[in-house]
Amino acid sequence: MTAVDEVARHGSPVEQSEPVVVIIGSGAGGGTLAYELTRQGATCVVLEAGPYLTQDDWVNDEWEAFGQMAWLDMRTTSGSWRIARDFPNLPAWIVKAVGGSTTHWSGATPRFMTHEFKARTTYGQVDGASLLDWPITLEDLAPYYDRAEQAMGSTHRHGRPPLPANNNYIVFANGAEKIGYRYYATGPYGTNATPYDGRPASIQDGFNFQGDKNGSKWSTLVREIPRALETGKLDLRPNCQAVRITHDATGKVDAVEYLDANGALQRQAARVVCVAGNSIETPRLLLMSASGQHPDGLANSSGQVGRNYMRHLTGSAYARFERPVRMYRGETMAGIVADEAKHDTSRGFAGGFYMETLSLGPAFMASFLEPGGWGREFTSWMDSYDHLAGMWIVGEDMPQPSNRVTLNTDVKDQHGLPVPNVHFDDHPNDVAMRTYAYDAADQLYGAVGALGVHHTPPYPATHNLGTCRMSADPADGVVDRWGRAHDVTNLYVSDGSVMTTGAAANPTLTIVALAIRQAEHLLEEMRQGSL
Amino acid sequence: MTQETAQHQSEQEPTDLQVDTSAQTEGPPEGGAQLTDSGRARRVLVRLLRVAYPHERFPDGPYERTAAAVEDAAHSNAADDRALTQGLAGLDRAAGGDFLALDDAAAEALLRDRADEYFFRRIRSTAAVVLYDNADVWELVGYEGPSYALGGYIDRGFDDLDWLPHPRIEEYPGEPRVELVESQSQETAR
Repeated sequence: MTAVDEVARHGSPVEQSEPVVVIIGSGAGGGTLAYELTRQGATCVVLEAGPYLTQDDWVNDEWEAFGQMAWLDMRTTSGSWRIARDFPNLPAWIVKAVGGSTTHWSGATPRFMTHEFKARTTYGQVDGASLLDWPITLEDLAPYYDRAEQAMGSTHRHGRPPLPANNNYIVFANGAEKIGYRYYATGPYGTNATPYDGRPASIQDGFNFQGDKNGSKWSTLVREIPRALETGKLDLRPNCQAVRITHDATGKVDAVEYLDANGALQRQAARVVCVAGNSIETPRLLLMSASGQHPDGLANSSGQVGRNYMRHLTGSAYARFERPVRMYRGETMAGIVADEAKHDTSRGFAGGFYMETLSLGPAFMASFLEPGGWGREFTSWMDSYDHLAGMWIVGEDMPQPSNRVTLNTDVKDQHGLPVPNVHFDDHPNDVAMRTYAYDAADQLYGAVGALGVHHTPPYPATHNLGTCRMSADPADGVVDRWGRAHDVTNLYVSDGSVMTTGAAANPTLTIVALAIRQAEHLLEEMRQGSL
Repeated sequence: MTQETAQHQSEQEPTDLQVDTSAQTEGPPEGGAQLTDSGRARRVLVRLLRVAYPHERFPDGPYERTAAAVEDAAHSNAADDRALTQGLAGLDRAAGGDFLALDDAAAEALLRDRADEYFFRRIRSTAAVVLYDNADVWELVGYEGPSYALGGYIDRGFDDLDWLPHPRIEEYPGEPRVELVESQSQETAR
């Protein structure tokens, strides 16, 4: 399937005995970190579980691309969420390939808001929620947000022009205007409206979830990874699944054990280990790395590894119209309404949400519109396909300690390792927000003549957050303000797992900003000789 | 499509999406009716698919290829195979001998009674993917399929919707959004 030799290494070979910075994962966090470190001279090995797919490999076909890109290793689910029934082995819809889920993301790049870094203080005590303030503020992150937006070429930012309106946006924005919303636009969005940074302008070809064959969309696959390889400081190893992080007698991590493309166990010595495997694999790896010194899992003295798993509110609304829409033409998510992205308890819940245009093709629509659905009501929506407009609802969900990634020792993956189990129950605040958001979608589409609106339940999560959260107090979380494990001085977490709370915004921009910031910290620590 | 279907079913995706494949034990108990007439079973299955996924515009082809995919998926696992055979035979029995003779409403009612049965859930998990994952159906529902090779839609109608005005694409130029609305109770608490 991959055009690149499965066992090939990429970049400049590093001896396995040479202790270097070992980064696990090559997505928004890992890919960004690899570039920021190598361009400033630090040698890195990146272990990527998936293959090195390129633009030529990607296909404009939903299920074929899914089979090619998605993380399909066995996982299990539990809890009262509908996913456990609808998609019992697919809690998350993320990518197993070089570039990680940045190859799948659609591109919305809102920043987190000031108060979202202070969720516990702002929202107060919410029963059942384990809210906590971040140990950093928006002010701390703002300069890195600037750099992340410039790297991604976010539209509407730093002089980047907006994308034009596609059909789905025309319906969406007209509805928004009619019900009094003001803060709508076609971005910010990480796909070029005009050529930028070596990437062409969008040709409005859709298929953002399938990689974007035109290469107009930012991903670490098209920007950070190739540039890191060019530095001569990166050894990129695709098809290499990390299985254990080891440590020495002093408690410092010293190597990563991984299975190569042939299933052979390898060991890469490490000076620093940065884990960026997304919020399910990252805690799984730490839990699988339990030792005498770390009996409950590496860096888990707090017991917080795997806890506070968040997946964002999510939900979608599809509206049927008398006249054609053809929502699938053009950028998948280049439309954002931000009016509800605020904390206003008069709505009956804490936190806020964005509405964003969304389109699925008929193949995905059939599986996700109403999972398990059948009968005339179901097929009437499919029959209306070219008359549908769609939106996604993305908002803050409450962290809960029982929403948790654990090792399921009863079920083994293809390597014989325990699979991750994802347990999730909606918090009442999540339900209240989703109900309100569906109603807002009804009003928005109703205002432009919708004949009906279907509320699609949350599907496998693309936004997976928490599970190794950042905290000021080591008792409350897994990592500190830099993403450094409270328990292990040279172990870092570099992905969305570190998010103390989830905020309303799509997380990729924030993951990239945090990774750029973490890279500066790592370089400084290495210069000082403390790493 | 036959080859693609086979490829899809070689792993745990995507037609297994709605079935828990983490354990090998799921399925109906042993024994029961055995397959005696595979041609009959196919005809019942096609009819079931037509009733479960009614589309006046669809010819038989999409239902036939979906039935073949459902059978292929079942053949990969003895318990699934048994469940499908028994489930289809059960429909005939419940229909007084001939499920094919029922009108749409009566046939749908029988399926409603069986909505949570394993064999029907298993059929749906395959059918929802396979029926709609083919260009024959895309054309019928007004979807144009792959676009990159055709230059995207930049010159092919990405913004051709003409029944609403073209809206603003820039961000709101007025006052910035209020992100934090202080509630009465919060102010009182302070």
